[in-house]
Amino acid sequence: MDNFFSKLAELFTTPEYIDSLLHGFLLTLQIAFFAVLIGFVLGLIIALVETGKSKWLAPLRFVFRVYVTVIRGTPMALQLFIMFFVIFAIRDFPQVVTAILAFAFNSAAYCSEIIRGGILSVDTGQTEAGLALGLPYRTVFLKIVMPQAIKNIIPALGNEVITVIKETAIVSMVGMYDLNMAAKDIGSGQNMASYVVPMFVAALFYLAVVYLITVIIKIVEKRMRRSDARA
Amino acid sequence: MPERRLEISVRGLKKSFGDNKVLNGIDFDLYDGEKVVVLGPSGSGKSTFLRCINRLEEPTAGEVFFDDTLITDKNIQAMRGKIGMVFQHFNLINNLSVMENLTLAPVKLHKFSADEADAKARKLLKHIGLLNKVDSFPASLSGGQKQRVAIIRALMMEPKVLLFDEPTSALDPESIGDVLSLIHEVVNNGMTTIIVTHEMNFAREIASRVVFIDKGRIIEEGTPSQFFSHPKTPRVKEFLGKVL
Repeated sequence: MDNFFSKLAELFTTPEYIDSLLHGFLLTLQIAFFAVLIGFVLGLIIALVETGKSKWLAPLRFVFRVYVTVIRGTPMALQLFIMFFVIFAIRDFPQVVTAILAFAFNSAAYCSEIIRGGILSVDTGQTEAGLALGLPYRTVFLKIVMPQAIKNIIPALGNEVITVIKETAIVSMVGMYDLNMAAKDIGSGQNMASYVVPMFVAALFYLAVVYLITVIIKIVEKRMRRSDARA
Repeated sequence: MPERRLEISVRGLKKSFGDNKVLNGIDFDLYDGEKVVVLGPSGSGKSTFLRCINRLEEPTAGEVFFDDTLITDKNIQAMRGKIGMVFQHFNLINNLSVMENLTLAPVKLHKFSADEADAKARKLLKHIGLLNKVDSFPASLSGGQKQRVAIIRALMMEPKVLLFDEPTSALDPESIGDVLSLIHEVVNNGMTTIIVTHEMNFAREIASRVVFIDKGRIIEEGTPSQFFSHPKTPRVKEFLGKVL
């Protein structure tokens, strides 16, 4: 145990180690942030097409169905490899963009199913009431269906955000220097020669950001649930 | 009797859900100021009939005219502004306050300015004794309160015809009375209405004409006194024998 604390002290007093960890942490946050953002927007588009009724969208609906099935049915690591070594195997193409897109495309599939479920969870009576008043479908969707759908899916979306943040750790498999990679690097033979402490610290970083997200989601959820109050 | 204006005219209306034929050719006219009560056993197509008028259900065949204009997918939105509807399950918008429920459509559709709508909503809420609920959300209202708000929500658009789809079927016995008296008042103020209901006494009191639907067809219609006291068809006799 003494060894653990002395190693911990060593880590926090060596500027290069701290630098590496923060550097890796920043990359992890960068990838996760943009992946979640792009993934949500793409997922929303997929969900809108899939729940839409227009028959013109039928071919697109089919394409999206296949897309969601393939993405959800194959490992994330494999998708990352394909993005790196097949689709974006372009010299000098920024690795971080490839990584962001890989996670965004993956998250879009999950987000689309979450959002689709949210839209379907809104009672049809709500839509009918809006339409019966003469409101255009667009207004009914934006003012009535979507706010209720989002409220219903906040916990599931929060789950997805957390999943993406932690899943980004696999970018170390393609040699990117994220938080996970930083911990591995610091623990390697030419540095601290012990993985326990740097990995423990990296875990705390992940935990901290996930906890922060959890708190934010709770606040958002509480605000959105105001309309459910029975008093 | 002076010639009365035809508000709604239904011709050869049919509606199927897959193989299930719910409406089998309905012809129906509604004149200005009429209060038509639609009766019939459950599953007879009463609600579907109502929902085909404002196209919440797309008719399989047949035509519906409002004010001599054929209702189509193109003009339905404007038509719905003139044909109000009150639902069995109230369908107040859950994420909007009572005030927003009342003002969303009239303001969005430029029927009234925001201030006018606000004033009108308050006046109506005060009238039904729910002004204190103006900023509440539907979840905090009782069933009877919800339905009364839903009725004035429909009135906010100043419709020419009001459709009631079993407005008291989802209510507890105590609040039924409140809702029925509000409907009574609306109707006595001259609103042209079609009401689908199972409240026989209410039907008898309020109706200027009773229409009986069975198996997707109108099989008998008449004034309440004719209908309830001297039914013509055996099916209506049987129905009244069970419910009265």
